Amino acid sequence: MRFIICVKQVPETNDLKIDPKTNKVLKQGVSTIINPFDQFALEEAIKIRKEGDEIIVISMGDTETKSTLMRCLALGADRAILLNDDCFKDSDTFGTSNILAAAIRKFDDYSIIFCGNSSFDTGSSQVGPELAAILGIPQVTYAESTEKVENGKIRIKAQTDEGYRIVESTLPLVIAGIPPSSFQPRIPPLPKILAAQKKPYEVWNVEDIEGDKAKFGSTGSLIKVKKLYEPPKREQGILITEEPNIAVGKLIELLSKDKVI
Amino acid sequence: MLEFTEEQDLIRESVKEFAQKKIAPIALEMEKNKEIPKDVIKGMAELGLLTCTADPEYGGSGLNAVSAGVIAEELAKGDCTGSTCVFYLVQAAWGYLLNKYGTEEAKKEIFPKTSSGEWFLGIATTESGGGTDVVGGKTTIKKDGDSFIVNGEKMYISGVREAANNGGGHITIAHQSSELGSRGMTVFYLPLTAEGITPTYIEDLGREGISCGGFSIDNVKIPKHYILGEENRGFYIIHEGYEYARALIAVICAAAGLKSLENGMNYVKERNVFGKPLAKFQEINFRLAEHYTKLEMLKRLGYEALRAIDLEQEGKGNRFETSKIVAMSKMFASDWACEAINDVIQWQGAFGYSRECPDQAAWRAIRSFSLAEGTREVMKMIVARELLGKELVSYK
Repeated sequence: MRFIICVKQVPETNDLKIDPKTNKVLKQGVSTIINPFDQFALEEAIKIRKEGDEIIVISMGDTETKSTLMRCLALGADRAILLNDDCFKDSDTFGTSNILAAAIRKFDDYSIIFCGNSSFDTGSSQVGPELAAILGIPQVTYAESTEKVENGKIRIKAQTDEGYRIVESTLPLVIAGIPPSSFQPRIPPLPKILAAQKKPYEVWNVEDIEGDKAKFGSTGSLIKVKKLYEPPKREQGILITEEPNIAVGKLIELLSKDKVI
Repeated sequence: MLEFTEEQDLIRESVKEFAQKKIAPIALEMEKNKEIPKDVIKGMAELGLLTCTADPEYGGSGLNAVSAGVIAEELAKGDCTGSTCVFYLVQAAWGYLLNKYGTEEAKKEIFPKTSSGEWFLGIATTESGGGTDVVGGKTTIKKDGDSFIVNGEKMYISGVREAANNGGGHITIAHQSSELGSRGMTVFYLPLTAEGITPTYIEDLGREGISCGGFSIDNVKIPKHYILGEENRGFYIIHEGYEYARALIAVICAAAGLKSLENGMNYVKERNVFGKPLAKFQEINFRLAEHYTKLEMLKRLGYEALRAIDLEQEGKGNRFETSKIVAMSKMFASDWACEAINDVIQWQGAFGYSRECPDQAAWRAIRSFSLAEGTREVMKMIVARELLGKELVSYK
């Protein structure tokens, strides 16, 4: 089987600065990480892979994104592809999904497309479902674990508002994963980092994916950003550090003073 | 501009994540318990940090010196007590020496166990009579058929308890042909579990997660394959290990100092005195700028020293040039870092002086490095020797 994992590089911090003229996040000096949900998606693929299976990680981004893809190779992916072209810039989720779908169509024998349910930065949760719609294949969102892959079908445990549901689907499909609270992302060990340097890493541009340029970048995007701004800083709260018997009295006093109670 | 390879950036990312998540939250606890928790050692081993300079065929990660420095830097930022830094750096530096000069048999026996964290590999050259003056040591090694017999003692050694209790040993130097002085010394691996070794322990001022102590060596028999390099060439061999450790120490001092400045900056931005943040006082922001500049210079020099070691390994360097730049990098490393940390303690007032403050632990740890692996004064001797020539050195 061939697994394709869509990953995104995201800022490590929420404390971002925005350029008010361009409405863009200022990336200078901001360290980045792999979107934690995407690492979970990769870990799920590694968990169910069998001998002879191939795991390909794909990311759309600038050249800095290579570090995230190399981390994926160190974690156990077999091949990495960076989608990088000027016409990919300023894509919204729909533009991104079109680019990813065009790249994925280059592989006619993929079985599962894994992605994180949402990203740490924008958190729209749209790319997974849009990919499935564009490619015309089933999707399972809020997937917490892949239970069984057998006879061209897969069983998945997915979160719901009330609890869990067990879903069975045919292959190929898109799985948008969300990690359980117990999930501990692995840290790539040094020997795997060294070995990753020898794994295939490719950069694909718009010609390589042979897609419709009109669907990519700002022209292919449905969302136009009018204004991007930082939320107003909240004032620091009051921390009551005393023992509970004193703290309760203090809390009541403060709430009464503000006429909350 | 410090530049690292993509591979080194990934190594940094992994070690940073590990150090910040697994070490930083329990660092002060390590000092209280006087040990590095087993799961931290296991984590370091799983990441491939222990004796990482050994070749992969022996269980190491085959890292070069700059990559080893990247690890040291991130551990120093995560562990305010310096305990894991010492645990790491001696194994990286002396693992490098064992990898370069050790026999196949010794490497196959020792590295798989040190890389897995089961054993500890340390360095033991200091004796109660002196450390800097290696030739002044009294420990002897004598040939006995196919084996060697060692007698003497070593003192102020890191990781004695770790090696004596869990296995492993120390790279050691002793006189084989004492009449030849520095030309009659031999370097070898001494297992601390051997019969005839009696450990003793000393309470250090800092980096208390790793033990410090000494051991007497009473007719300890070691096999021939534990000898590193040629017999009687030990004085020259041992200095390569020292230099590796010294350059790593320079990076550790810079990183610990910069981490402390980061703590200090967070504090002075938040803390108000006389109606304005402490950071607004010129006394503080000038000193911050000075410390930061010195420590950034130090970090760069530390990496230059590590690069010089790598170049020498690639056959592009020069032994004496390496010695000089390594000595330059270590000369003020501890002093500059301690000065910065001391100011951060001052800025934080009474909290700075409390045991809860990570910076006091960092100061106690970093203070050791103007002594360990060659004193500040010896670094000056080396640099002066390279500038003036051997004829004008102060120690002859």
